Amino acid sequence: MLKMTHLSKVYRTEVVETYALRDFNIDVKEGEFVAVTGPSGSGKTTFLTIAGLLETFTGGTYHLDGIEVSQLDDNARSKIRNEKIGFIFQAFNLIPDLNVFDNVEVPLRYRGMKAPERKQRIMDALERVGLASRAKHYPAELSGGQQQRVAIARALAGSPRLLLADEPTGNLDTQMARGVMELLEEIHREGATIVMVTHDPELAARAQRNVHIIDGQVVDLAEDPRFHAHVVEARQGKVAAE
Amino acid sequence: MKLHPMIAALRRHKAGVVLIALQIALTLAIVCNAVFIIGQRVSRVNRPTGLDENNLMLVTQSWVGAPSGDQPGDVDKLDSMQQADLAALRAMPDVESVAPINSLPLLNSSWNGSAALKPGVELREGNARTTYYFTDEQAFRTLGLKLVAGRAFTPADVQHRGFRDTSTPPVVIVTKALADKLFPDGTALGKTIFLDGGSSPSTIIGEVDRLQVPGTGSWTNSFTWNATLVPTRLDAGFARYAVRAKPGRLDAVMHAVPQVLYGVNRMRVLDDDSVKPFAQIRQEAYRSDVGMAILMGVVCLILLGVTAAGIVGLTSFWVGQRHRQIGVRRALGARKIDILHYFQMENLLISGVGALIGLGLAIGLNMLLMKHFEMDRLPVLYVLAGIVVVMALGQGAVFAPARRASNVPPVVATRSV
Ligand SMILES: Nc1ncnc2c1ncn2[C@@H]1O[C@H](COP(=O)(O)OP(=O)(O)OP(=O)(O)O)[C@@H](O)[C@H]1O
Ligand SMILES: [Mg+2]
Repeated sequence: MLKMTHLSKVYRTEVVETYALRDFNIDVKEGEFVAVTGPSGSGKTTFLTIAGLLETFTGGTYHLDGIEVSQLDDNARSKIRNEKIGFIFQAFNLIPDLNVFDNVEVPLRYRGMKAPERKQRIMDALERVGLASRAKHYPAELSGGQQQRVAIARALAGSPRLLLADEPTGNLDTQMARGVMELLEEIHREGATIVMVTHDPELAARAQRNVHIIDGQVVDLAEDPRFHAHVVEARQGKVAAE
Repeated sequence: MKLHPMIAALRRHKAGVVLIALQIALTLAIVCNAVFIIGQRVSRVNRPTGLDENNLMLVTQSWVGAPSGDQPGDVDKLDSMQQADLAALRAMPDVESVAPINSLPLLNSSWNGSAALKPGVELREGNARTTYYFTDEQAFRTLGLKLVAGRAFTPADVQHRGFRDTSTPPVVIVTKALADKLFPDGTALGKTIFLDGGSSPSTIIGEVDRLQVPGTGSWTNSFTWNATLVPTRLDAGFARYAVRAKPGRLDAVMHAVPQVLYGVNRMRVLDDDSVKPFAQIRQEAYRSDVGMAILMGVVCLILLGVTAAGIVGLTSFWVGQRHRQIGVRRALGARKIDILHYFQMENLLISGVGALIGLGLAIGLNMLLMKHFEMDRLPVLYVLAGIVVVMALGQGAVFAPARRASNVPPVVATRSV
């Protein structure tokens, strides 16, 4: 479904070159649920934005659903984002000017879907996340957890094959986070491929597979000493937070 | 269509929407009316007088210590002074022809009266207002008038009389406009008319195609083209001569005229204003019209500029404000062109509402102007053209910020704080 080989991403500013990803290799199979972990600044978001065609990369190759994406122009990339990929962001990213219904409709409109079908899908998706009764509400009138569920409904409505989530529970309390996670698991069971970045080892543990990124590279969990240091750090952080 | 969520979103930005829509409405209302007024002024300024204006000039002069004209014999004396001037001017090598005349079109100094079909009728139903041009047989050549019926004056037709003498001429030539007004059902040639409610008839011996009255004020609107040519030299302490120079010799004649006239008689007043090319008369007559048209044009341009700037400003502000949601839309599958179209469509919507309000305002403003000033009804075409212009202006103004919006990268969805 998603295959990156020797992929690199360099951010160039006037003064420095940052290798956000280097010799990055990953292969996510159709129907997998992969959790991506790693310390802050390690390149998790960078990986996800490239995977989701939000950004281009510097070197290497990336095949999405069998297509080598570096050849695609901007319109083709938009089309793939629209049809194959669902995004869930840490900051929800609902459009504040639109109510819940209209928010979920956004990707469907860009697909050029007819109104009756759009309506059907929107209501189905909202039903899924348990917010059908809030269709006329504006994002500002919802709790964080509800907003994230609307965002998930928006990602789901277009029935994407691949769901990309960047710390979807990062802004939520434990209970809300659990709800969102359950929703994702349910979606996964129905056949979607999910790649989720998370800081939460507990959530990561619930995924089928964990991929750990350090300094822009995927590392083997068992062998890399840096990982152990990080796990300890993360646990300490979690203890401190509680 | 895509409109429903767009309208929903706009409802949450009412202040900006109302501001721009009203600005567009006002701009439309003012620009439509202003352009209409400009158009009227321009066509007013451009209407032909009936003269051949090139190579034509007017000499206005007065004699110092001339007889008053009230004593017996004064009139003949004044007339011989005038005839001497005419002879001298006509003898100039660069002069084509010269005619004595009391005024010229656009000079805003006129002698007006009325023409009736019956004696003793003052200006009333069935007669017509007219201006008089007192001149002689060289008027046609000098002014370049076009005779459309009958004959021109001959030297035998030409009389002379004192300035305050009210006797009426036996023959006259009228403009076609006046002839048609007096005799709508047939030719005016050979018919008699009575001038100024007098009792002695004047016979119409010819018709000229077109000749404007001297007055340019709106009070002359009812008789702009009603002129009567009278074959009479007026004798007074002053005289006007229309002079046609040979082609290209106008400047030379203008420079030479004072010398020639002083050569005939030193006792006269000739100043800078005494010798005027017709072009200058025209320019002075229409100075305020042209000035008004330019002023209104400038106001329109400023208004359009301010409106365009307002649209650019507000759209830029909105693009900044919506930076993140543009990124999100891109992430969710919007193409660049979709974002561009979104802002263009939004502007079309706002401009459309503005234009609709502006349509009402334009007509309202026009009715107000019609009521309080002399103004014609604004043709719908002007308003329609105005709507097209403001909509195009809106689209032009929105393009740059909308393009900037379309270049917001989708990665903004994950990266911005
Ligand atoms: N636009 C950019 N310009 C320059 N450097 C960037 C840019 N975006 C990311 N980086 C750098 O790339 C590296 C990887 O960043 P990335 O956001 O992928 O980390 P992350 O693993 O998602 O971190 P976090 O867990 O804090 O979200 C960091 O060093 C970051 O500073
Ligand atoms: Mg990140």
